[in-house]
Amino acid sequence: MGAIALEVENLVKVYHPRRQSPVRAVDGMSFGVARGTIFGLLGPNGAGKTTTLKILNTLIQPTSGRAAVEGFDVVRHPLEVRRRISVVLQETATEMFLSVRDNLLTFARFHGIPSAEARRRADDVLERFRLADDADRKVQDLSGGNRRRVQVSKVFMVRTPVVFMDEFSTGMDPILKRAMMDWLREEAARGRTIVLTTQILGEAEELCDDILIMNRGRQVARGDLHALKLLSEGVYEVVMTFDALPASIEQELAQLAPLRMKINQNTIEVAFKAGEGQVLERVSALARGRRVLRVEVSGASLEDIFVELTQRKE
Amino acid sequence: MSALAAIFYREGRIRVTNLTFVFWDLFYPLGYLLVFGVGVSAALGAPSAIAGASYNAFFLAGVLGMASFGIASNTAWSFFLDRDNGIFFEMLTYPLSRAQYLLGRMLFTVFISLLQAGITVGLGCWLLRIPVEVARLPLLVLGVAGGTAGWFYFYAIFALRIRRNDVFNSVTSVFYFVFLFASSIFYPLEPLPRWFRWTALANPVTWQVDLLRFASIGAGAPRQILLEALAFAAFAVLSFVLAVRCLGQQE
Repeated sequence: MGAIALEVENLVKVYHPRRQSPVRAVDGMSFGVARGTIFGLLGPNGAGKTTTLKILNTLIQPTSGRAAVEGFDVVRHPLEVRRRISVVLQETATEMFLSVRDNLLTFARFHGIPSAEARRRADDVLERFRLADDADRKVQDLSGGNRRRVQVSKVFMVRTPVVFMDEFSTGMDPILKRAMMDWLREEAARGRTIVLTTQILGEAEELCDDILIMNRGRQVARGDLHALKLLSEGVYEVVMTFDALPASIEQELAQLAPLRMKINQNTIEVAFKAGEGQVLERVSALARGRRVLRVEVSGASLEDIFVELTQRKE
Repeated sequence: MSALAAIFYREGRIRVTNLTFVFWDLFYPLGYLLVFGVGVSAALGAPSAIAGASYNAFFLAGVLGMASFGIASNTAWSFFLDRDNGIFFEMLTYPLSRAQYLLGRMLFTVFISLLQAGITVGLGCWLLRIPVEVARLPLLVLGVAGGTAGWFYFYAIFALRIRRNDVFNSVTSVFYFVFLFASSIFYPLEPLPRWFRWTALANPVTWQVDLLRFASIGAGAPRQILLEALAFAAFAVLSFVLAVRCLGQQE
């Protein structure tokens, strides 16, 4: 078995909604993901991320093309694929009528973990996810955030080589989210492949070794953060803080055609696509005759790259 | 095997930790027999003679058939609950095949319906003095198990095809009305109008109940019972094939 955890070749999925024209949700995607990678699948709403994940999870079948997980074809050997994956779906998925502990034990049972080992792991996961106090409460009595926590915690009960997480941090508090990111890095260091989709680009920027940006069912960019930044060369992010925000600043910025801009009290955050010299000229023009407390000029963030790539006309 | 054991574990934990489920799963057919059966029996005048037996004895097979039908419909409805809770699609990513998933759910439903039948027959015989033939009990077990399996797969087709809970509830209400009343559950078919009798004879509920009646009190001609049993088996196999296909088409 090679070092590739996921292989996708010319994957196409066409939905045929009733009384509507067909929707090409995934349109010829091809990519591979190396073992032990944290792989981020990014894209705007309706880009085809969840459909791609559902095909890899064996929940739906592709219209054409091929996808394999750990060497097993998702259509021809779905059971072998399911033995090697654990999945956090985008929607909250828990056993409402069972206790938190029973949710973990049931999940472990499906993955063939012996009872004593499952109990030991459940205790560990309950502690880790700060669910120990609610262990014997039924999930239907928990808040939405805690239900999501139960759902996500289940993947730490098993040692499947591949983990799929669709918008895993939805409804999660910032402290747990940060801890989760550390745990996911640990899991990847142990050789587990983590595939995640997220709308929170900061999360992907911080976590992912490998990022694929898709739009309208197609790949628009692929690589690590550094490679993606090169793709978007010429995008600069400028942060300026004034002692008092100039009244005309919004109009002035709009005339400069920024990729995005944000004004927060006395601070402006703006992204330009231009040459380095032009950007510096714009900064000095904005500062002229005004008292500037702080200026920062940096390369593009993942958000800039994402916006630029997904808004490009085809 | 471990996949089926896991489904049993899951379903078992849900039942054991929710006492209202235990009542509906185990005791409601007995309650039906004791209330409806005794009521009609008294109204007809005791000892009434239907098919050569008391109404309670006649109705025992009807209650068991109705319980098979009911528990299958409830289990199929739980697909909607699982869908609402999101766990339905997550379970489809667990290491089990679609057929194993349906088989596991069916086996657990059959297990519960056998417990239910055991309680109903045991207490029914004791409290209402229904003369069940012990030698035919294995056939009764087969009738309950096979019937529940068939109805589970039949209902699963609709639960998996229909996306809206309210539509499914309307469909099951129609099924309850048509299948249960146009059958041999509550009354013998012989005195019924011709069109009614033929409708009931084409109804799989009648096929199952006639077998259960033969197995409990010996009523019915063996040749007709055998034909009905074979017809029900074909109905169950067809339902299984269609249910697995519907599960494979979930998107």
